[in-house]
Amino acid sequence: MSLFLIAALPFLGAMLPAILIRAGRNASASATGSVTLLALIGLLVHVPDVLAGRPVSARIDWLPSLGLNANFYLDGLGLLFASLILGIGLLIIIYARFYLSRQDPMGQFYAYLLLFQGAMVGIVLSDNILLLLVFWELTSLSSFLLIGYWRHLPEGRQGARMALAVTAGGGLAMIGGMLILGNIAGSYDLSVILTQKAAIQDSPLYLTALILILLGCFTKSAQFPFHFWLPHAMAAPTPVSAYLHSATMVKAGLFLMARMWPVLAGTDAWFYIVASTGLVTMVLGAVIALFKDDLKALLAFSTVSHLGLITMLLGIGTPLAAVVAVFHIINHATFKAALFMTAGIIDHSVHTRDIRSLGGLRRLMPVTFVLATLAALSMAGVPPLNGFLSKEMMLEEVAHTHWITSPWLLMAVVTFGALFSAAYSFRYIAHVFLGPVRRDYPIKPHDPNFGMWVSPAILVVLVVAIGLFPMAIAGDLVAVAAGAVTGQALPPYELKLWHGVSPALFMSIIALGGGVILLALYAPVNRLWLAARRPEAKAIYDAGIAAIERFSRWLTDLLHDGALSRYGAIFTVSILALAVWAWTTGVVGPQTRPALEPGPIAYVGWVALVASALSVAVFHHNRLLMLVLIGVSGLMVAMTFNYLSAPDLALTQISVEVVTIILMLLALNFMPQESPRESSFGRRARDITISVGSGLGMGGLIYAIMTRGFAQPSISEYHLANAKTGGGGTNVVNVILVDFRGFDTFGEIIVLGIAAIVIYAITESILGSSVRARLLNRVPNRPLAGDAHPMIMVVITRVMMPLALIVAAYIFFRGHNDPGGGFIAGLIAAIAIIMQYMASGFGWAAERQRLPYHAIIGSGVLIAALTGVGAWFNQMPFLTSAFGYVHLSGLEPFELATAALFDLGVFLAVVGAVLLALESLSRYAWQPNTVSEYPMDINPAREVGETRGKEA
Amino acid sequence: MSIQADLNVILPEIVLAIFAMLALLGGVYTRKDGAAPILVWLTGLVMVVLAAWIAANGEGTRIAFNGMFIDDGFARFSKVAILIAAAIVLVMSQDYMQRRGLLRFEFPILVALGTVGMMMMVSAGDLMALYMGLELQSLSLYVIAALRRDSVKSTEAGLKYFVLGALSSGMLLYGASLVYGYAGTTLFSGIIQTALEGEVSIGLLFGLIFLISGLAFKVSAVPFHMWTPDVYEGSPTPVTAYFATAPKLAAMGLFARVLFDAFGGAVGDWQQVIAVLSLFSMFLGAVGAIGQWEFKRLMAYSSITHMGFALMGLAAGNAFGVQAMLIYMAIYVTMNVGTFAFILMMERDGVPITDIRALNMYARREPGKAMAMLVLLFSLAGVPPFLGFFGKLYVLRAAYEGGLVWLAVAGVIASVIAAFYYLRIVYYMYFGEEGEVLETNSTPVLWGALMVSAAVMLLGIVNMFGVETAAASAAATLVN
Repeated sequence: MSLFLIAALPFLGAMLPAILIRAGRNASASATGSVTLLALIGLLVHVPDVLAGRPVSARIDWLPSLGLNANFYLDGLGLLFASLILGIGLLIIIYARFYLSRQDPMGQFYAYLLLFQGAMVGIVLSDNILLLLVFWELTSLSSFLLIGYWRHLPEGRQGARMALAVTAGGGLAMIGGMLILGNIAGSYDLSVILTQKAAIQDSPLYLTALILILLGCFTKSAQFPFHFWLPHAMAAPTPVSAYLHSATMVKAGLFLMARMWPVLAGTDAWFYIVASTGLVTMVLGAVIALFKDDLKALLAFSTVSHLGLITMLLGIGTPLAAVVAVFHIINHATFKAALFMTAGIIDHSVHTRDIRSLGGLRRLMPVTFVLATLAALSMAGVPPLNGFLSKEMMLEEVAHTHWITSPWLLMAVVTFGALFSAAYSFRYIAHVFLGPVRRDYPIKPHDPNFGMWVSPAILVVLVVAIGLFPMAIAGDLVAVAAGAVTGQALPPYELKLWHGVSPALFMSIIALGGGVILLALYAPVNRLWLAARRPEAKAIYDAGIAAIERFSRWLTDLLHDGALSRYGAIFTVSILALAVWAWTTGVVGPQTRPALEPGPIAYVGWVALVASALSVAVFHHNRLLMLVLIGVSGLMVAMTFNYLSAPDLALTQISVEVVTIILMLLALNFMPQESPRESSFGRRARDITISVGSGLGMGGLIYAIMTRGFAQPSISEYHLANAKTGGGGTNVVNVILVDFRGFDTFGEIIVLGIAAIVIYAITESILGSSVRARLLNRVPNRPLAGDAHPMIMVVITRVMMPLALIVAAYIFFRGHNDPGGGFIAGLIAAIAIIMQYMASGFGWAAERQRLPYHAIIGSGVLIAALTGVGAWFNQMPFLTSAFGYVHLSGLEPFELATAALFDLGVFLAVVGAVLLALESLSRYAWQPNTVSEYPMDINPAREVGETRGKEA
Repeated sequence: MSIQADLNVILPEIVLAIFAMLALLGGVYTRKDGAAPILVWLTGLVMVVLAAWIAANGEGTRIAFNGMFIDDGFARFSKVAILIAAAIVLVMSQDYMQRRGLLRFEFPILVALGTVGMMMMVSAGDLMALYMGLELQSLSLYVIAALRRDSVKSTEAGLKYFVLGALSSGMLLYGASLVYGYAGTTLFSGIIQTALEGEVSIGLLFGLIFLISGLAFKVSAVPFHMWTPDVYEGSPTPVTAYFATAPKLAAMGLFARVLFDAFGGAVGDWQQVIAVLSLFSMFLGAVGAIGQWEFKRLMAYSSITHMGFALMGLAAGNAFGVQAMLIYMAIYVTMNVGTFAFILMMERDGVPITDIRALNMYARREPGKAMAMLVLLFSLAGVPPFLGFFGKLYVLRAAYEGGLVWLAVAGVIASVIAAFYYLRIVYYMYFGEEGEVLETNSTPVLWGALMVSAAVMLLGIVNMFGVETAAASAAATLVN
């Protein structure tokens, strides 16, 4: 059978049990069993080839660009694991059929079991490490589902989560290691990687890869310090524990270590990490197991201990140790699965797994007693059972291994572990089956039916048979599997019961004898154990998780406290850091443009600008003062433009400044005079540092840029050369606005108009809502001035108005050749009109305003557009300007340019937009029916209160 | 080239823009919000038709407006993905928003306009085109973020997003003008010439840095990510879903355009910066999400992590990296569509619930949906065999081959941390404590989106539905 089919069969078959459960539990179970059996037969067909040293392979390209291919191959190691997975799987399926009760969702159980089985088979047959990763995590997922569908889980919730978090996380870490390996080897195919030992071990990334891969292996195989999840996963139903948590899934880590052995093993790093971890796990697991009262917890820790033992053997790194490791994998799988099943039988028949309420079962459950005793004796390492064989070989191997330069340290520690191992095995027999029959079992114990004990019985037969005839039954398999692990010829060895008198024999005798003594002293030792303070791995795990959560909270609260100022600070600091990086790594060329010599005026201006900016920062709590200071800054900027010979910009700046200040004054009307002081000293210090830093940085950058030439010559040259000849004006700025870049300006006035209309629309809808009432009922926080419209101001503004309009006209007309233009003129005219609103009151001014501002905007845009369209009639593109000189008698010749007409459009649009916006905003303060009838006719006799009531 | 040919190239954008404007006029002059549900479906339909049209008509590289607009394989790949993602999210939101009285007719129009901006972004061949697209998209997003005007949280989130967004746009614009000053052109094809000739001058480097900061804000990469959790949490869920999908794709596409089309000759100058952004994003997102119980806020951190991974692809600095990024983003968007479909369903007594603890024992009541979510969450965590793992594998390999081994290893560690909180949600669904019942009354659309995206995560592993080859050719057109 093709390897594809063997790997795919469980997946394909996973649907069967879920469907067939409607036809009954037997149908569902037998379908599951048949699928497994079929896969097992398919596997066994290849046995002769593999034993003859001819690995079988099958390949399909999947995502070649990623290096991910569906390549499978079957060698000795794969055969060993695949037959364990499928063989024990078959026994578990039979066992589970009788173990699960009617209420349990058997269809789903079998479906997920097959899914898991497929994933495991996939792992051991993969010839591509990325494919292996996929199957690897699939086992975590399917094991989660297996536990997740187990309905009655009082205490197991935490366990399931822990198992998932630890194993899936380890698997993800492994991705990194696999990537590194694949890159060094130049292929992700195992068969290629395994030939690249030298390249991999010489790579500087070897250690990183090793650690990442071992993280995956250790988490999966429950090695210290990740051993804690396995015992907590024991809340799962016993068939799951027996299959996943002892025979197969936890062995995946061992499998991978064995698989990678040829390229990863043999270095000091490998030895110290793997062997030491295995050793610690083995001893720790054995010690804890002895003191567990729950049967399954005892077995779980014993599993941890045995997994540690195998890990240690793999870590030792000699070929013989690998042989022992392989042999022990077989032996452990047989006796431990049998033990789990007997534990399940006891749970099933007595309804408790607590050793303290058991004992004396040998008479009531003789079959179970025999099976459990044989398996447990094998676990203890008693001859002539298979556990003894591999343990003897292990001790022998350990006896000549130096650990941290000491020849006997490893031996002593391992013997200590083996002693506990013997003790808990004996305890499993003595405290459960031996002793007097009790009267207080939850229900009357009895042996289960045949279906339930046949599976452990088969395994126990194997335990005995391998013990008696190791070479005949397991010899070939061990040889070919160990050969695949080491990838080289094996040293001579023999699997046999009697090795003669050797250090291992003494260690074994010490362990067994010590185990018996320890069990005899169990009561006092247990009291000592209970009294001692010992770290609880689960508590540490929970505390760790809680600490991480606290840290996460702390971090997010620190960064995302919702304050915009903090976000802004982070933003600014980040950009500053990037800028510093750019500055230090970039190449700064020499200064190419000479700086202008700043005169005393420039210094005065600069000082004034800095002083006003600083004052804004200092006095910003007082809003009015701040506004004044901002005005100062704006004026200084205007002066700077003037100083640098840009009168147009200066004019624009001044008029824009005035308009914005008026706008802000309007807003100030609705705000408290002072802004609240809420920032602490530290925060202010932080903000000052950041702003000074970024300000200096920005200034420095600008200085650096201004003193160096750009890539291309400045475009100013072109404009200076062509303004007069092409646009008919000597004021280059204006010519750019209305001619060269006329289309931009056209767009801008439209946008300006839209913005004003939007402000109007928003004001309308706000004033139509409940906000209106709140505005009307607003009580100002300090009394209004008694005189809303001081006569002096009213008089001056009215006198000024025609003057201002004339200035606007003057500015407008001279614009084409001298500083000025439609935009500035528009602003000046707007200011003149606004002053009327301010001085004489909204009502008074609005009454005298006959043209709607919308129309003014519209007409401005229209005039500009028509000017542009005019060009079409002369077969020119839109907005092409023309100019000519008109000679009228009695007058000097003067220029007429279509650009002036366009500028008129700009003028109107600006006037309309500014006024519409300001008028809209000022309506918030306006109260209806309070037109001040006599703005200029102040009667001193009138009461102050009366005035306020009537005017706004 | 005649204006006719230019207009032909940007016809899809024009169609969508005109559709949006007509819809706006229609909305103003007719039934207003009453017609909104129909408009939502119509907009979705138009987008899907456009996507099909772009996918079917794409041949070679066409250039319009003297190089300002590029229609190449990369642009088409991104546009199809953007249009489909936007259409699905739009249609998914209809029922949710309608039932809560949030469905204004402006919503589909703003989404459509934002989508036009995104299409422009991924086709930009010039700094000005870039800015136009970016601002059209951003302005639509600012408004959508504050769509729920009567909610303090929503308006606050929208305002913060706007202020910070304006700041970042300012930086970007400043960077663009510096680049123009030192390259003498705004065309990417001209900038790359300058960058290839000799050393990158300090002005150009600063321009690049500021451009990167501005773009990093749009993809919410750390440390420019501050707006993300607030906006994700404050906005109505459909808006969050929109934020998490199409705009991210577009911003990533634009990022790739700028880095490779304009600065492809100076990989060394930006590689480290992108790598650091990627590193920070992966870790902050992973660690930050652990303490979150609010599903949407958690998804915000999750998206930050994912953007970190996508940036890892860009940091690789080669065609394989771009391909990896595109694949990653396509998978990311699919996963998010499914996840948000589920979040949109979560409610109790008609009130939306977004606390993940409400999912306790959910699997017992709704095994099908719980299974779909399990698949999506595992995929988000990057656990094999789901598609999310392949996305991670691509970017990790790209980073590794781009010489950023440390980044790849850090990415693996970050993904381990990030897996924790996804798995926690799975844990709540399957175990957890018994609590109040969570209702997930799904409409056919939401149910379909959830199930299809979960199925894609599983079935996509066969051949990724051809996205892999499409992304490869798209990346090849960008990097040459």
